[in-house]
Amino acid sequence: MTTPFPRGHHDDLEQDIVAALENREVDDAGDRELLQRLWQRTGELVARLESVTDLSEMAPGCHRPTRNLLARYERQIKILERMIRISDRNQSDLKRLNQALEEASTHDQLTGLTNRRFMTDRCRQEDRRVERHGGSYALLLLDADHFKRINDSYGHEVGDQTLVELARAFRSSLRQEDLCSRWGGEEFLALLIEANLDEAVGVATRSIESSRAIRVAVDGDDVRITASIGIAAHQANETYADTLRRADTALYEAKRLGRDRYFLEGPAAD
Amino acid sequence: MANQHVQNLTIESSQSSPSVIADWERGVIMMRGESYPENSFSLYEKILDWLASYLEASPRSLQLDLELNYLNTSSVRAMIELFDNLQTAAENGREVSVIWRYDARNPRAVELGKELGEDYTFPFTILAIDP
Repeated sequence: MTTPFPRGHHDDLEQDIVAALENREVDDAGDRELLQRLWQRTGELVARLESVTDLSEMAPGCHRPTRNLLARYERQIKILERMIRISDRNQSDLKRLNQALEEASTHDQLTGLTNRRFMTDRCRQEDRRVERHGGSYALLLLDADHFKRINDSYGHEVGDQTLVELARAFRSSLRQEDLCSRWGGEEFLALLIEANLDEAVGVATRSIESSRAIRVAVDGDDVRITASIGIAAHQANETYADTLRRADTALYEAKRLGRDRYFLEGPAAD
Repeated sequence: MANQHVQNLTIESSQSSPSVIADWERGVIMMRGESYPENSFSLYEKILDWLASYLEASPRSLQLDLELNYLNTSSVRAMIELFDNLQTAAENGREVSVIWRYDARNPRAVELGKELGEDYTFPFTILAIDP
């Protein structure tokens, strides 16, 4: 390991320069003056470096004697290198922390899906996009059927596990560009960007099928679940809140018709 | 002052600066909290001065006991200054040591401790604290 202190480190060059400057005989072709100026400049540069890294921020014009320049220079460089390394580490720690906080503020802890706040923001953005550039989107509101029964018969832990499975089933039924979030207790909302009704129906069908396939093992028993879905396609002059209201009405309709199915609300958007 | 050689330094913590207790009898400087004060120099100058007079007045050992969750760049600079002074003392045969305590919930804080302790020849111990 190298010692962190180049202190006591003697530099022949410095001594040679000092000796040459003291020796009037080198004055021949104005060398001495040049050397004198170079020497002074070097001292000033090291002092300036020290004024950047030094704790006390020495007042300008407060010069130390021009001694051990190389050692002083090396010490300051070493300090700067360490400070940069440590600062970088600090910053990447903060960045990581920031990411964790952002993740916590935009995601649902149980299912890992985005949360209602995040989804609301995304829907608003989508409204602005459609208003400016045209296009459309569809909303799918999925609700677990008879979820309360699972909670009541098997307890909340099994209920939670079922929700995690349902979230996974819903997410895996989406197209790549779609987003889904945990909207409420056992309710999930998906935003299908630029989806026509056929595509929305395709997603809903897959979601219902993969929900049916869920099995949560409890004491040799398989807990099953089904889901109902309301679909609404965004219409011109509508905000996401209006579309969502229609998706909710459709969901109610799907429940009323016997659950484990989707219902399509409103006329086709295109 | 009669008690000039037995003087403790106590600085209360604030939101942006750590608490400091320098105990002359025990030969321990304890710092706890976060360090991003507006003027790092005025805070660390007191500690550096205390350290210098302790090392000069007494032949006894010194321990720097740190639990600092966050350090801004100029605090890091001041910390390097403190450690460098300890290194000089160690090279002169003085028994000095540093304990760097970090929150076990933030395992990455170990790395900062390692980074700070690098290059010194005196004992630099990194300890996890369980909250």
